Amino acid sequence: MTRMLRISPVGVRGVVGTGLTAQHVLDFSTAFGTFLETGAPVLVARDPRASSTMVREGVVAGLMACGHEVIDLGVAGTPVIQHTIRRTGAAGGVSIGASHNSADWNALKFLGRDGVYLSTLEANELLDIYHLRKFNLVEWGAIGKLWAETGAIDAYIDTLAATFDLPALRGFRVVVDCCNGTSALILRRLNERFGFSFILINEKLGSVAFAHEPATTRDMVNLQLAPLMRPLNADAGFLFDIDSDRVAIASEEGEAISEEMILPLLADYFLPRHSGKLVITNLSTTALLEEVASKHGGTVLRVPVGRQAAIDAIAAHRPEQVALAGEGTGAVMLPQFRFVYDGIASMLALLSMLLERGQTLSRIVESYPRFRILKGQVPLVTKRIPALLNALREQYADGRANTLDGLRVDWPDHWLHVRVSQTEPIIRVICEARGAAPVALFNGLMETVRSFA
Amino acid sequence: MSKREHLLKIGVSGIRGVVGEFLTPSLACAFAQAFGSYVGRGTVVVGRDTRASGPMLQHAVTCGLLAAGCEVIDVGVLPTPTLQVYVSATGALGGISLTASHNPPEYNALKLFNGQGQFFNQYEREELLDLYHQSDFQQAINSQIGGVRQVLDQAPRLHLDRVLRHVDAARIRGCGFRVALDGVNGAGSVMTPRFLREDLGCALHAISVDPTQPFPREAEPKPETLGALAQLVTETKSQVGFAQDPDGDRLAVADENGHVLDNDDVLALAVEAALARLPGDVVVNLTTSSAIDDIAAKHGRKVIRTKVGEANVVEAMQQVGAAIGGEGSNGGIIFPAVHLCRDSFTGMAFLLDLMASTGKTMSALARELPRYYRRFGAVMFEHGKLGDLMLQLEERFAGAEMDRMDGLKIRLPEGWIHVRASNTEPLLRIAVEASAESDAEALYRSVTLLNSNRE
Repeated sequence: MTRMLRISPVGVRGVVGTGLTAQHVLDFSTAFGTFLETGAPVLVARDPRASSTMVREGVVAGLMACGHEVIDLGVAGTPVIQHTIRRTGAAGGVSIGASHNSADWNALKFLGRDGVYLSTLEANELLDIYHLRKFNLVEWGAIGKLWAETGAIDAYIDTLAATFDLPALRGFRVVVDCCNGTSALILRRLNERFGFSFILINEKLGSVAFAHEPATTRDMVNLQLAPLMRPLNADAGFLFDIDSDRVAIASEEGEAISEEMILPLLADYFLPRHSGKLVITNLSTTALLEEVASKHGGTVLRVPVGRQAAIDAIAAHRPEQVALAGEGTGAVMLPQFRFVYDGIASMLALLSMLLERGQTLSRIVESYPRFRILKGQVPLVTKRIPALLNALREQYADGRANTLDGLRVDWPDHWLHVRVSQTEPIIRVICEARGAAPVALFNGLMETVRSFA
Repeated sequence: MSKREHLLKIGVSGIRGVVGEFLTPSLACAFAQAFGSYVGRGTVVVGRDTRASGPMLQHAVTCGLLAAGCEVIDVGVLPTPTLQVYVSATGALGGISLTASHNPPEYNALKLFNGQGQFFNQYEREELLDLYHQSDFQQAINSQIGGVRQVLDQAPRLHLDRVLRHVDAARIRGCGFRVALDGVNGAGSVMTPRFLREDLGCALHAISVDPTQPFPREAEPKPETLGALAQLVTETKSQVGFAQDPDGDRLAVADENGHVLDNDDVLALAVEAALARLPGDVVVNLTTSSAIDDIAAKHGRKVIRTKVGEANVVEAMQQVGAAIGGEGSNGGIIFPAVHLCRDSFTGMAFLLDLMASTGKTMSALARELPRYYRRFGAVMFEHGKLGDLMLQLEERFAGAEMDRMDGLKIRLPEGWIHVRASNTEPLLRIAVEASAESDAEALYRSVTLLNSNRE
């Protein structure tokens, strides 16, 4: 069975036409319109996919039908709509777009007051409304109206300028692979307004195809961005996914830096600056984080993989306790940005770090203890998952087991994590070790997993 | 029968209902996707009247059309006939007008048109309905999804230029008529004032021509609801008054005394104007006045009668290549040389042209029409008893000429009776016409008495 539609607390995501249809869009947006309180506007933004226009029409109709005033930001990334919700006191918003998925996918991300993702409790309530199909459709005189707003990106940049010393960062020579996504809209304005000289590649918005898979992985960095670093004499290179919430980096030497490094780098930069000493991450993220955190007197809280667990963990703490949160995919949430994934803010934080250290990016990365991570994936046979996890637990009985999300086993200098993907029908396998790559461990693990596939 | 059943109707005429709990955006989207799947991957024109629910439904409909792989042209607020003309002129595969026409503001509906800007025939409509019920939709993938293009200024000019070709516009302008207009704040508001002032040189006194405001009166333009127009006519000493419905297909007319004409008489005047210009026969429904027969006879033309309903009249007009047609009671004038649809703009132009060519007042023109007395009404009947009632009528008027095409039409020497059951309610609609007022009264009573005797 090929899965082409996923409806979960994270939202609705699917291949348009074969999985995600106009009816899903209408039903979900009407459910969200029912879920949200009326009184303040609801914002809508979309990525450049062709199908996002179709989804937008349905989302606007569903929200209006529930009596909401709708403000359309047009094509804009998720961080921008999240910022605008906060800035304007909107009741919530819908970010349309399938971020790091291929062009044939689309998704609806539901955002609540302050632009934050829905908590699991709220998301489940939304799902219940969707499944019950008991919608608050208002009578004709109370139907909402639609407005367009064009200044959202500039207002978002104003907040970036208040957080980072943008003029001081102008001197860096930076290459960005926009992957035909929304980051191009923001970076062009940064060039125009602050005299940056970001060199943008793949900057044309893509409706039916992207220059490459829009994933923020080393492979994608190596494809086009990394080879440009030396020829262009750049200080750093950044790759964004379509909705600009994730980032990957290339060093000045043209090397793709592991996506696992971004969170430790930012933790190293932000922990000393922040009263909060807690770093929230998931069970699949590098153990380097614990070392970096302890250097600054911080602690790491590990939660199940996925945005939802991180959101719930942040909600369970006072904001001032948390220094930052994120995962090893280049998705990082900063307290200055009220904990939304924001690739642009992450980029500016990394540039600020370069400026402060006065070192090259590769020198900074080399200064950390070396951890090697190996990742694999095996297609899923759902009914055999429990047996697989039990078998692995017996096979690796000498380590410390954690069953919060699949199975994680820890030893003093290495660990493994086997879990089921939330978005794709596959089992993800990750091993990490200090020093040399844990090849034998990884191969043994993959062999066991494959025997269950 | 519960009230709820009237709040939403999905049938061969499309989808119509009270917006909110009944006519939902989800239904509108699904119906539009069925429509898009039916017409194929090409351009579809979408417009609306001025109802508050229009923009919301337009987004839902656009979503469904895009999901079916259609390109959408958004013409915004536009009269239905203007949208139909535009569809036919642009090579679009179809059009959707979001309007519940003369229904109250809480209602809305999708009026569906083919690539010629006309209603689908009965068989096509059934096919589309099956497609909807099967949820057998074209599901476009990302690379097949088209866009939305807004075209707001082309359609009105296109439509009005076609209308102006069939009247002597210079002569009308030369008369400088004082005209009153009640636009019901409908879709006509966006183009009627300009049409009357600039194209036809009228001194216009207009009320309710703000498309952002709600309907100030009952949406159906009929004598009982046009008090404001009558007053405007007398106050401004206008020579004629026009009233449109929210989507600009229906027209009502007041004479210079503020007297609102019978819609049958308005159609009769339009028929007179058309037959004087063009060859061809006339098509009207069974309920339309015999005055049409007299006028057609004067011009040596035939009158073809159809079942009630614009689609039926249009279908017959197409078959016989009629010069003009319409439905008297509901203010619909259909003039195919402009477009095969109900069109208040053609109606206004024809009546002004008649005034200009004859030099007569509107009241004089109406007075000179063949005089018939009409009585319309409706009675409730008990469910399941409709057949009995019809049989009793046939017995009561045994020997008269009976037409059973649509309900029962009984032709008598002194006039005629037409009774038909409503499609949506347990109502028997009664129409009666006779040359003498007393005969019309008597015929009407004979039907209502029959119904009350039964109980």
